[in-house]
Amino acid sequence: MKDLFKYGLVRGLLAMVIGTLAGMALVSVVRLALGLSIWNPDAAWTVGGILGTIAFMIGVGSLTDWYRAASGKPLGMHTHDNPDWSPLQRYLGFSVDHKVIGVQYGVFGLILFLLAGTFALIFRWELAAPGLQLFTGEVESLAGLTGFNTMFSLHGMVMVAAILLCIAAMMNYLVPLMIGAQDMAFPRLNGFSFWITVPSGLLLLAALPLGGVDTGWVGYPPLSTRAPLGMVTFYLGVYLFGFSGILGAINIIVTILKMRAKGMGMFKMPVFVWASLATALIQFAATQLIGLSFLMGLLQRVMDMGFFDIAKGGDVILYQHLFWFYSHPAVYVFVLPGLGVISEVLPVFARKPLYGYKWVALSSVGIALVGYLVWAHHMFTSGMQEYLRVPFMVSTLLVAVPTGVKFFSWTATLWQGKLIFPTPMLFALGAIMIFLVGGLSGPPNALVSTDLYTHDTYFVVGHFHATLFGGFVFPFMAALYYWFPKLTGRMYNERMGKWHFWLQFVGFSVQTLGQMQVGLLGMRRRVADYDAALGITTGQLAVTIAAFVIALGIALMIYNLIYSASYGEKAAANPWRSRSPEFQLPSPVPVHNFDHPIEVVGNPYDYGLKDSIYVRPISTPAAPGD
Amino acid sequence: MSDTQSVNRRVLIASSHPLFARGLTRLLQERQAGDVAVLGVVSSTAEAFQAIQQLQPDLVIVDYDDETLNREDFLAHFMESSGKIRFVLLSLKEGGDQAMVYDRRNIAASQIDEWLSEWTEASPEESQKHTSYAAPDVRSGKMKHWIGAIFLVLLIAAGGIVGLRNARLLTQPASLQAIPIDQAFSVLWIAIASLFALITGLMLYSVIAFRRKKGDESDAVHIEGNNKLEVTWTILPLLTVIGFAVYGSLNLSEVVLPDPQAMEVRVVGQQWSWRFEYPEQGITSNELVLPVDRQVLLRMESQDVIHSFWVPEFRVKQDLLPGRETQLRITPNRTGDFVLGCAEICGSQHAYMTAPVHVLSSADFEQWVFDQTDLPDDPVARGEIWANQYGCLACHSLDGTRLVGPSWQGLYGSETVFADGASRTADAEYLRESILDPNAQIVEGFLPGLMPQNFNEILSDTQIDDIIAFIESLK
Repeated sequence: MKDLFKYGLVRGLLAMVIGTLAGMALVSVVRLALGLSIWNPDAAWTVGGILGTIAFMIGVGSLTDWYRAASGKPLGMHTHDNPDWSPLQRYLGFSVDHKVIGVQYGVFGLILFLLAGTFALIFRWELAAPGLQLFTGEVESLAGLTGFNTMFSLHGMVMVAAILLCIAAMMNYLVPLMIGAQDMAFPRLNGFSFWITVPSGLLLLAALPLGGVDTGWVGYPPLSTRAPLGMVTFYLGVYLFGFSGILGAINIIVTILKMRAKGMGMFKMPVFVWASLATALIQFAATQLIGLSFLMGLLQRVMDMGFFDIAKGGDVILYQHLFWFYSHPAVYVFVLPGLGVISEVLPVFARKPLYGYKWVALSSVGIALVGYLVWAHHMFTSGMQEYLRVPFMVSTLLVAVPTGVKFFSWTATLWQGKLIFPTPMLFALGAIMIFLVGGLSGPPNALVSTDLYTHDTYFVVGHFHATLFGGFVFPFMAALYYWFPKLTGRMYNERMGKWHFWLQFVGFSVQTLGQMQVGLLGMRRRVADYDAALGITTGQLAVTIAAFVIALGIALMIYNLIYSASYGEKAAANPWRSRSPEFQLPSPVPVHNFDHPIEVVGNPYDYGLKDSIYVRPISTPAAPGD
Repeated sequence: MSDTQSVNRRVLIASSHPLFARGLTRLLQERQAGDVAVLGVVSSTAEAFQAIQQLQPDLVIVDYDDETLNREDFLAHFMESSGKIRFVLLSLKEGGDQAMVYDRRNIAASQIDEWLSEWTEASPEESQKHTSYAAPDVRSGKMKHWIGAIFLVLLIAAGGIVGLRNARLLTQPASLQAIPIDQAFSVLWIAIASLFALITGLMLYSVIAFRRKKGDESDAVHIEGNNKLEVTWTILPLLTVIGFAVYGSLNLSEVVLPDPQAMEVRVVGQQWSWRFEYPEQGITSNELVLPVDRQVLLRMESQDVIHSFWVPEFRVKQDLLPGRETQLRITPNRTGDFVLGCAEICGSQHAYMTAPVHVLSSADFEQWVFDQTDLPDDPVARGEIWANQYGCLACHSLDGTRLVGPSWQGLYGSETVFADGASRTADAEYLRESILDPNAQIVEGFLPGLMPQNFNEILSDTQIDDIIAFIESLK
């Protein structure tokens, strides 16, 4: 029992339980003193959740060093080289090593990803046929329609959390390696950024046992004001999760701007680093807005503040503006790192330079900037001022320009290459195809008149699943396979990897096109049941089957990764003959990354330029840094 | 010196020894004609840098044995410059037949193979053969690739367009607003299929044609990019986007075109039902019943949370907000039965928040209105309601006052004199004819053409009887 306490996670969870109970007790005492009824679940869970999160952060040890620094004591944390710690202890506790944190982000992200995927399989089962299959219980319970609504709401928001975690995993693990740094600029802040996602993720998931959420992931008031209790922890969990995004983004930005190796000008950085910079800029500046909207939604519900209540002088559409001001740019947070991964993988397996490096790099920044100006295209039917619709249509269409640059540049990179197709390359090519489908199904939603039809139908569902699978899921999996040897020192199983690709590629194509078609034929979003007269029953069944095929592929990947991490073939240092700095290191990457500082002596993607290299160790040992 | 425009490699020779310079020049011209052009010979370091700047050669061959050239200056220039010039230091003394190649910032002896193999290894006959065949070969190979790729792009585009045109993609339209919207969809399908084909066609072709051959570990050609091409594929999409923005705006203006004569219906949404109020007709209904070919202005409001009004066949969609009216204009142009569904998540039974929609011919609609209205049994009282609702009393007074039309007071049974001098007793039959065909006989002192001539479409027989009964009661 006492042994368990050496794991930071265990200490944190225990502290969280105590903190939550203390918070609830506090609320009850205050209410009793005020002569109110002792138990108010909304208020109790709000204060309990906040105190529980703080307690978790203390328990896990994320505040210890800051507390020591503030009270003038020597810092105690050197998890990098604490030889007494077992690997499990390192990964289940507070670490400041960016590679450990990257893995922590990745594993937690994958767990949430699988959970959210399971929610999807459950409601896809329900939608396989008209009528009600699974959710036939009492309407307002989890066994009934509220259960269905909870499934798709949590599928959405838990996926968002999972994606943000996986993005953070890639950026944390790769950015310092790619720019030749020992670690991130602020290692302790980095650890804090990861660990706050654990209590906030748990709060988000607590919405399920607390009666569910039936608003969809958007949580629009006034529906959220009358939603089940789960709404409170849903809002609170996402609000706290936002800290991770903002703090993590600051870390990424500073690391990229200040810690690059000698000779690495901005236009000598690997393109993934550019994508990370653009991503972090969005996260840094936009995340506040969803935090704000969720905080105000929570306060309206718990404290009856009428921010969005017209009867109390509020504005019902204001919430949607605040929400989408983050949540549209968030889409680019999800996809930009993935597009960066594609740009990393293609040149290696085409043995050709990335075509138009500067254009590809700057197009990420372009997408990030234009992404700020398009949020109201989610609101063409909302009842906002009609004259706003045309300018937002124009700005939305403009996103096509920098995105187009990427597509053309990728195509030109492949042209006249010497292509080989191991699993990461398959995923990168599949990602381009799927992202193309996602991008091209955008204009029907961007044009106001056609959006009046497609808005809130399954066409939109098909569209954004294609952008997210093409922009995130496929590239993320390309990344998992591609950097797996750096991560574990072993190779994955190529055969299983290819099976995974084909199952997922075919399954997803059927799913997304099927969703688009049933949407155009009149399938509304977020409904548990549909009219057989719409003629979409076959299409719905096909989408459900496709979803299960995708799940099979992903199960294969999980097995492959877990099995190969222990029993896979030993990996060479540079199995792909990549020029990137991380592949000049041994596999797996040593604790301190680079023994010697490196300098940049060439361009990152000069494949085909004989005997040129990108980076090399600085021959004269530099003075120890830090 | 040969034509410097068409050749692939442009060479500058730096040597103050005439034998070295002329000999090498002649050797290159003889064996590499068409492939290598000697831009010139320079004999001092300063001259060399000037020539490099002006002529931008691909390769500078430096006489390594020439002591008058400052090697260190060359090397420094070479390390600092940003251009892509390659240097070959050729020595006849040191190392015998070996040469050193300096690639920018990166010293690599093997680079010489690429550049010099053709004139150091190949015999004159072979090299001649090589040069005479190589260029056309490369060109025709490129052409073959482009033709193949373009063919694939066109094939996918054609397949995509045909597929999208024939796929069941939209519900049957049933409103005027659906016409521009469906047209926009058709335009979009073509654009989508074409762009999809452009990228996937080129990609698929690359995947098929540019596979690495077994055992080939070498890299592909070193092409870093082309700024002109990048600008092109930035500008062209930008123009396309602007085109679509203009098209989309014009299209939207057609969709939202208001008709001042529109019939008003108030739509009230609440968890989880719909209510429709017809202020002009004084009806409240749970079904939305609309006359065909008449624009209806839906004034919508929610009683609780946000809902959204959507009948797929009408195409357009609008949210209902609590505490604020939103509007939607629809002109049904096809009779039939449809289903209205809520399109904004509104709680547990969102899926079942539906209502039947019936689009009826004008006559059927009036019949429905007639059936719906909670009417008094007395035809006179009903007639008064119709006279009010259909605007009769705007022109016909009930108290003998002269308005635009003859007063109804004392009209029934009186002797009416017409503009043409004829006269007739105003009985039920006369009044019916005057309502249905008002311009047939104009009463003396009044103007023709003022009274609506479509009451046969608007009013049912019973309604006309009721109005006549009302007029009769005003004797």
